Amino acid sequence: MDEAEINYYVLFDNYTQGLALQELLQSEAILARITPTPHVLQGELSCGMALLVLPRDLEAVRACIDRHGAAIHEIVSLPCQIRPRRDRFC
Amino acid sequence: MIYLDNAATTVRKPDTVAEAMVKALQGWGNSSRGVHDTSLQAARGIYSARCKAAAFFGCRRPDHVAFASNITESLNVAISGLLRPGDRAITTALEHNSVLRPLYRLQDEQRLDLAIVPADSQGCLDYKSLEEALRQETKAVICTHASNLTGNVVDLRRVSELAHKSGALLIADCAQTAGTRPVDMEDLGIDVLCFTGHKGLLGPQGTGGLCAREGLNWRPFKVGGTGVQSYSRTQPQLMPTVLEAGTLNGPGIAGLSAALDYISSVGLDKIAQRESELTQRFYSGVRDIQGVTVYGDFSRERAAVVALNIADLDSGAVADVLAEDYGIAVRAGAHCAPLMHKALGTQERGAVRFSFSWFTEDAEIDAAVLAVREIAERT
Repeated sequence: MDEAEINYYVLFDNYTQGLALQELLQSEAILARITPTPHVLQGELSCGMALLVLPRDLEAVRACIDRHGAAIHEIVSLPCQIRPRRDRFC
Repeated sequence: MIYLDNAATTVRKPDTVAEAMVKALQGWGNSSRGVHDTSLQAARGIYSARCKAAAFFGCRRPDHVAFASNITESLNVAISGLLRPGDRAITTALEHNSVLRPLYRLQDEQRLDLAIVPADSQGCLDYKSLEEALRQETKAVICTHASNLTGNVVDLRRVSELAHKSGALLIADCAQTAGTRPVDMEDLGIDVLCFTGHKGLLGPQGTGGLCAREGLNWRPFKVGGTGVQSYSRTQPQLMPTVLEAGTLNGPGIAGLSAALDYISSVGLDKIAQRESELTQRFYSGVRDIQGVTVYGDFSRERAAVVALNIADLDSGAVADVLAEDYGIAVRAGAHCAPLMHKALGTQERGAVRFSFSWFTEDAEIDAAVLAVREIAERT
C-alpha cells in the first residue's frame, strides 16, 4: 500500500492529553489535525479525539512525545478509507 | 448598596468575565464531545483554563486540575474520593459545613474514624492537638486555609509537615484564600487544593475545582458521560476525566479563565496587600467602640474578614439595621461554621461578618465603621 494511503493517528485517553500534545506539536511546527478517534478502534478507546499526523512527520512526533514526556495512548496506522476532496491538511 | 459580603461571593467582577461568558454561551459547543470547531473551541477554552489554574495554584500538571460546580462539590469529590470505609481522618473546628457534613456522613455511613482538632477562644487552630491526633494512623487531614468566620489564616505548611510526617494527605479548603493571596500547593505541601471560582477569584458562581498531586487513587464522586472510552462500563481512571462526569460549565469556566487573567494582570501580592489594608482600616475603626466585640486573631496573617457583635444584640437584627438604615450588606448568623461559633461562644446570637474584596473602597469601609459606631451608641 502506498504510504499516502495510510493515516497515522495519535490516540489519547482523554481530550486533555490530546490538546496538550497538539500544543507541543504546534510549538515545534509539526502539523497535526484533530480528528475523531476512528471508530474501528471501538472497544479499546471509542469516541474522543485523535491527532492525524503526516507520515513524513511520524518520527518527529515520536521524538516530541519522548522529549516532553507527553501522555498518549498509542500511535496507530489505518488505511485511508476516504480521500477527501480537498488539498489541505491542517 | 455597600456590599461587604465578599466572603459569601464577590459581586463586582472584572468586565472581561462577563464578556468571556457571553462569548462562550453563544459560541462554544460541548467540550470533549466531538471534534468539530464549536466543540474544540470549548475544549481549548477549558484546557486553557486548566493550564492557568495549574500555574496559579502551583499544580505541576494541568491535567490534574478538575473543575466542579463549586467548592462544596470539590470537597465532596476529594473527601468521598480518597477516604475509604474505616479510614481515620482529622479535621478542625474552623471548618465550614462543606467539610464537616461530608465527613459526618462518612462517619455515620462508612465507619470513618473522625477526629476534630479544637480551636482556642480567638478561633486559632491548636497545632499541638493536631500533632497528638496524628499519632494514630491517619489517611487525611482536611483543613481550611482561612476561617470563613474569623478570617484567621491557618499555617498550612505546618499542617502539611505534620500530616506528611505521619503519612497522611492534606486536603485544603481554600475558599477564602484563592485569589486573595498566593496559594501554592507545592510550596505549602497541599495534596489536594480545593477552590471556588466566585469569591476571591472574581469568577462566576457555578465554578470551582480542585488541583491534585499525582498518584492519588480516586474513587469518583459521580460517574457518567465523558465523551471518551464510551464502551467501558466504568469511569475512565485518568485525570481529569475520572472526576468530571457530565457536561462541564463551559461559560462559567470561560468566565473563570478571564478572572484568572485579570488577577494575574493585577498581581496577587498587590491584591493581598490591598485587602489587608482594608481589613486593618475596618478593624482599627471598630475595635475600640464601646460594646463591640471583634472575634479572631489580628496579630497574624489573615483573610479580609472581620466578625463582630454589638453589645448583646442579635446578629440578625444588626445586619437588618445595617441593610435597612445604612444600605450595607453583611452576613449575620452562623455562616455554616457551627464549631467555630461554639469555640467563640457565639452559638446563641451568631455574629455579624464584614468581608472585603479588591474592589472595596476606603469610603465604604469608613461608612461601615460609622454605622457600627452609631448602632453601638444607640444601644
